[in-house]
Amino acid sequence: MKKQNIEDIFSSMEDFSSVPPPELWSQIEEKLDKPKKKKRAILWWSAAACLLLGLSIPSVLHFNSTSGIKTLDNNNNVVLDKKNNDLNTNKTIPNQEINADKISTEQKSVVVDDKSSSINKSNESSTSQENQKTTVAHADAENKTNSDAITPTSKTGKTSTNPIVTKNAVATSAKENNFKLNRSNGFNTASKNQILSNDIKAANKALAEKTFNSGKANSFQSNSKNKLSNSIFEDQLNSKNTNNVAFNSSNSILNESAKQKNENFLPSKEIAGNQTSNSKFKDVLNKQDSIQLAELNNLEKGIVATESKEEKKNKTNSKAEKWAVEVFAGLANSENYKNDKTLGNANESKQGSTYGVKTKYKINKKWAVGSGFKINELGQTISKIAYTKTNSVAFMSSSDYFNQNASNATPQISTNHNYVFVSANTTNALKQNNIQSSSIQTGNLDQNLRYIEMPMEVSYAVFSKNKASINLNTGGFVGKLISNNMALNGQSIGENANANDFVYGSTLSSTLQYRVYKKTNVFVEPAMNYYMNPLNNQSFNQFQWGLNFGLNVSF
Amino acid sequence: MKDDLEKYIRLCIKNDREGQLKIYQLFSPVLYGICLKYMKNEDDAKDVFQEAFVIVFQKISQYKFEGSFEGWLKRIFINKLIETLNKKKKENFFLDVFDPDTDFVEEEELDAIPIEQEKLLEYIRDLPDQYRTVFNLYVFEKMKHKEIAELLKISEGTSKSNLNRAKHILQKRILSIKNFKIA
Repeated sequence: MKKQNIEDIFSSMEDFSSVPPPELWSQIEEKLDKPKKKKRAILWWSAAACLLLGLSIPSVLHFNSTSGIKTLDNNNNVVLDKKNNDLNTNKTIPNQEINADKISTEQKSVVVDDKSSSINKSNESSTSQENQKTTVAHADAENKTNSDAITPTSKTGKTSTNPIVTKNAVATSAKENNFKLNRSNGFNTASKNQILSNDIKAANKALAEKTFNSGKANSFQSNSKNKLSNSIFEDQLNSKNTNNVAFNSSNSILNESAKQKNENFLPSKEIAGNQTSNSKFKDVLNKQDSIQLAELNNLEKGIVATESKEEKKNKTNSKAEKWAVEVFAGLANSENYKNDKTLGNANESKQGSTYGVKTKYKINKKWAVGSGFKINELGQTISKIAYTKTNSVAFMSSSDYFNQNASNATPQISTNHNYVFVSANTTNALKQNNIQSSSIQTGNLDQNLRYIEMPMEVSYAVFSKNKASINLNTGGFVGKLISNNMALNGQSIGENANANDFVYGSTLSSTLQYRVYKKTNVFVEPAMNYYMNPLNNQSFNQFQWGLNFGLNVSF
Repeated sequence: MKDDLEKYIRLCIKNDREGQLKIYQLFSPVLYGICLKYMKNEDDAKDVFQEAFVIVFQKISQYKFEGSFEGWLKRIFINKLIETLNKKKKENFFLDVFDPDTDFVEEEELDAIPIEQEKLLEYIRDLPDQYRTVFNLYVFEKMKHKEIAELLKISEGTSKSNLNRAKHILQKRILSIKNFKIA
């Protein structure tokens, strides 16, 4: 008897055919009549959900953080110690007043930067001229102002013509770039009171400390004879005085988004072996279908099968799916891993939002490169920073001691110069000496730097199965500054003048992707970014964690 | 005849129901036969058949009148069949584990006794899903193991192993019938 192997036995099944039940056609007709909108609707809903999620999370976090600031504001109106009864004119300023203050573009904020100032209790207080002023200033032990001292230009004749020299000065030395830091500054017994004021730009900007206007000679001596004028921190200078604010900050926001995706749909394969003849299997078919089958056979004879050609074409098609376009949105959290401080206050993390588009090109199964554009936000928050408003605070005149010695302008940080930021050490020093001031308040300082970035990334597919895939992405980016904002207690006070127009950084991310419809994928992408140079001479948050949600379409 | 087929296809591109019916009548037996070979039960075969035919009519405008139209149809159907089987993967996932009993068993030659198609179809459909899929692709579609592995996203070794196991099972079934007949 003739021998056969399994394949021979089943060869008759190669061209097996069977007429389907008649009801199937009507069901197919029904499906054909239905519009094909359902899947498209799912696709658009998925895209909308991703974008909404990406945009809403940062918004929610932003509002939460804003409410937190307001709470802090309410508690920080009075900075100085109320126990000091010698101060006559201390006033607390309610929040409403702060909020009502409008920032004049002509006004310039002043930052008193102080790293370490100590109060020498043996200092003697003195007042001079018609307006007795006591200054709290950063100064050397030798009573010299640093080269970065600020010289306010005052239009008040009194202040300009009468140098205010008080023996009781709270000397504060500038920190890092803005002022030379003198850690031994303080209330020096041997030193003369000095009014620190600096010209920031030869123009009219000056960073300075505070001069205190007092109608009477008020002392804030504890054990000493030191005296401060009554109205500490009261402004005698016109609001036109240009006072500069200088303070250092360093933060970075990292943001990144990298994504990759793509999974071929089922690779199309040519099916070899066209049906040649169904005549052998006609017995399987119903008689009523025999006519159809005959017609089918006749047609098939006329069809020239070029299987190999199709196979090549299909392979080409599957390989052609190399490009992908992504849209994404998410949140980014800037972190201070270097424990940088600004004016003695720690830089805190800050949430921001990010969104953009990206294109990817698949080099092979595992590797891909990508680039695109995204809007990203780097930021930081400084909580409970002490400040005073210059439009209500007497300031140093251009003829002040510090002013005269000042040679270098303090780096300008904010374009609005309405506020003087006081370092933590200064406020502590004042507290230790039971000095109260109604002018010093505390609040939250928010800084945001928004960039349009162009990343260049390389992606590696570490996992790909069915509809899911995981990719690792790394690369660098260059960013152009498009928005620069500083806000005190939620109210904008200007820009950070030290922000670089262009930033560079590196990025590392992982893309978790899932195919929802044919060539369309949704993905989640945790990322870490590092910004090299957000500011040119200040510290700022440079690390950034990000979480992006997006949609990826390959073609 | 070839001109007629092209005419029907062009009618389908215009979403003409008469043209669609013609195409259905011409190719449904072959395509339904494929569905029966790949799916374990008839209900599943009917479902895939309908869905695949809907896809055919939706995508028929992509057919460029190059090569075999039937080949193009079969490709769509087989892709749909495999996609459906993949969805059921939890129940039909096969471990790529070496099995000395089946993987390297010499294929035995059997006596050439005619077996009805219904019986052969039954044997095929009784195979586990992945064995059946690999067997169909290898034996009927003449695909190579490398191609099968790519299509099913399995290793080439798994494809070979599944084919051997399928053959082994079928061999046993056929032998049992023949022994029964001899007895």
